[in-house]
Amino acid sequence: MSSMGRLSQEQIVFGLALLLCAGFALALPGFLTTNNVLNLVRSVSILGILGVAMGLVVIGRGIDLSLVALMAISVAWTLNLIGGGMPIAQAMLIGLAFSLIVGAINGWLVAYAEIPAIFATLAMGTLIYGFGRYFLFSLDVAYMPERANSLLWLGQGTLLGVPVPIFIFAAVCLAGYLFLRYAKSGRYVRAVGDNILAARITGIPVRPIVVQQYVMSALIGYLAGIVTAASVASMNTRLALSTYVYDVILVVVLGGIGLSGGKGGIRNVIVGTLLIGILLNGMTIMDIQYTVQNVVKGALLLTAIVIDTIVNPRDEQTAQQGDI
Amino acid sequence: MTPIVELRNVTKEYRGIPAVKDVSFTLERGEVHALLGENGAGKSTLTKMIAGVVQPTAGEVLIDGAGVAFASPSEALGRGIAMVYQETSLVPSLTVAQNIYLTDQKRFHRLRGIYIAGQQFLQSLNFQVDPTAMVAALGAGQKQMVEIARAVHHNAQVIIFDEPTATLTPEEKHQFFSLVGRLKRRGVSIIFISHALEEALSIADRITVMRDGEHVVTDVTSAFDREKIVRAMVGRTLSGGYIGSHKDRKVRTAGDKVLSVQNLSMGNLVRNTSFSVFAGQITGVFGLIGSGRTEAAKVVSGVLKRDLFHGGQVRLNGRSVRYRVPRPAVRDGIIYVTEDRKLEGFFETMSIAENIHIAAMAGGRTKSPTVSMREMRTIAEEWIGLLNVKAINADAKVIELSGGNQQKVVVAKALVQKPKLVIFDEPTRGVDVGAIAEIHQLINRLADEGIAVMVISSYLPEVLQLSDRILVCRQGRIVEEFEGNKADDETIMYAAVH
Repeated sequence: MSSMGRLSQEQIVFGLALLLCAGFALALPGFLTTNNVLNLVRSVSILGILGVAMGLVVIGRGIDLSLVALMAISVAWTLNLIGGGMPIAQAMLIGLAFSLIVGAINGWLVAYAEIPAIFATLAMGTLIYGFGRYFLFSLDVAYMPERANSLLWLGQGTLLGVPVPIFIFAAVCLAGYLFLRYAKSGRYVRAVGDNILAARITGIPVRPIVVQQYVMSALIGYLAGIVTAASVASMNTRLALSTYVYDVILVVVLGGIGLSGGKGGIRNVIVGTLLIGILLNGMTIMDIQYTVQNVVKGALLLTAIVIDTIVNPRDEQTAQQGDI
Repeated sequence: MTPIVELRNVTKEYRGIPAVKDVSFTLERGEVHALLGENGAGKSTLTKMIAGVVQPTAGEVLIDGAGVAFASPSEALGRGIAMVYQETSLVPSLTVAQNIYLTDQKRFHRLRGIYIAGQQFLQSLNFQVDPTAMVAALGAGQKQMVEIARAVHHNAQVIIFDEPTATLTPEEKHQFFSLVGRLKRRGVSIIFISHALEEALSIADRITVMRDGEHVVTDVTSAFDREKIVRAMVGRTLSGGYIGSHKDRKVRTAGDKVLSVQNLSMGNLVRNTSFSVFAGQITGVFGLIGSGRTEAAKVVSGVLKRDLFHGGQVRLNGRSVRYRVPRPAVRDGIIYVTEDRKLEGFFETMSIAENIHIAAMAGGRTKSPTVSMREMRTIAEEWIGLLNVKAINADAKVIELSGGNQQKVVVAKALVQKPKLVIFDEPTRGVDVGAIAEIHQLINRLADEGIAVMVISSYLPEVLQLSDRILVCRQGRIVEEFEGNKADDETIMYAAVH
């Protein structure tokens, strides 16, 4: 299919990323410095890890709008518990368990209560933020306590000269790839996203798979949260109220994982992450206002979708199966 | 006299693959012209070129002897060419009259005005449809009448029907045929695409057969008989097809009672029905659409949501079962093969191999939590071979296959799960003649192997051809039972309608 100049959205976005990279490298003197490239890739890593979490859900024809809120609150709680004197491992286990339970509730709401994912997780995000701020801790920002400094390595350390978050991003991508391709339940996720009725009739345990999807998203989200906290030695729970979760969705959709489910994979997340990372970093160096950055991001998403539609027209004739 | 429609050496390619190759075709004024061929033979594409839905890659389209190049269906409609699709294009939430006058130039209609005009118009066509009725509330046959009325309202000189009778009940079919006769008397020319050969033989003036995008033969209907058409369509004589009487057939004896359903009720679709299915036998279920046959099967296999289930007992091998979702039914060996493969039959983003393998995994055939690519390939090759699925290779997407091959994949998905009881719901709907024979052979083979088989069909010859026992369903109940080689179509139809 890729012959005759027929490019997939993934390839288009990858080309755009290269183009942008070259443009910034020529125009911005500070862009191609070692320091900046490392900074770029490190900041992108967290977005990419979250992209994998969101990607898994979107492939299963869901969406998780509570991803960032859950990450912020569960990790902030963990830091608070450590600050209160709890052993690090125990605090992390509690934070993780909280995260997984909320993920399971998300899944239950979508799969068993049959609430549309977008509403269930939107409400859950708000609920979690409010719950965390009221019941679990009272400050906006949770700081990494002195004695947890060993964790900082996850966000600030380097291994063979490469920042550790990049290794974590790579590991999450590899795990996601292996899951989708080689795990039975990974196949099931794709099947449920492709055609939930067919999945049901085929005897796939549809509802447990949906629950699993949101639990995995919560798990990967918690990991991303720990890396975030380790990078800046704190967790700002205001992140839950920001548009960060839409950046994650942007990465996923831009990379070519269709919101209609069943399509795409980890490669798409990587490509989408690269483009967004380069773009955000370049604009930050150029000192472009945050609000203007949002305009650029939105316009970019529309452009990518339009180009995809022109290059890969959705031909009703060929789309209809069978009789031609 | 110049023909009203003429195609000269038209070719249509999709992404370089020809769907129609160098075909010439004429439609005379006031004739009914049947267009026959297997799925993928190019019938739909050919007519879509006439109706302006697609544009030919090469060749000429002439209307009344003048060359045309329609850019859209509405341009073709302006020249009096209308196409009536299998899936209707009516707006369900509007009334009949509103639909008929929907695309008129006038911006506002007075409802009373269009109801009166609609009433007169429908009466002039002798259609028994209430112009004030909501389209969503109409049956398939009546919807089709409204579509036709709309075409006639637009002064259509040529009406193209794409599989018009596929979703109709026998009674509605009868009405449809008399309607075609009336249209013809009004001087309308008709192209009629169908899989039902008897229909073509009984209503067409001329018949054109296509195969693999090419024109095979065109002649007056009297020059054809069933066997000749089938031979032209498939380029071979069928073995085990419809040729030959079902009464010469030996009926299999019943094995163990695999499924026993007692007093099953569900809403007003299934009413206190009881039946049994035996191992090593094909139990055919015949019933008109709406008789509750599909619903009964879906309750048994857990496909229908449980909250509709009102009562009754289902026993599998003597054990009482009640499935809330299909998974436990699949694990117990009850497999339902859907009547609507596009909706719930297969995964369109997946390859043939992935489709078959995922069913194998879901059916518990592979225990490992990981996927073995080698195992997937082996299973896929095995079933592609067994069912003679025609595809470039196992990595082809199911959606790119013809209807018959798609159906074979859906059947493979079911059989790979090692069923004890298979329920085929309309196993050959939208499937070409060649594949029908193959699917029938397969169903016979299953019964010979000792599996309990249930075949639900609204196509009488299919039920007669396959069944060792025939159950007739009417108004949510099994009302009659026949032995496969004793029944004939009249008695069965009588039981189904009265």
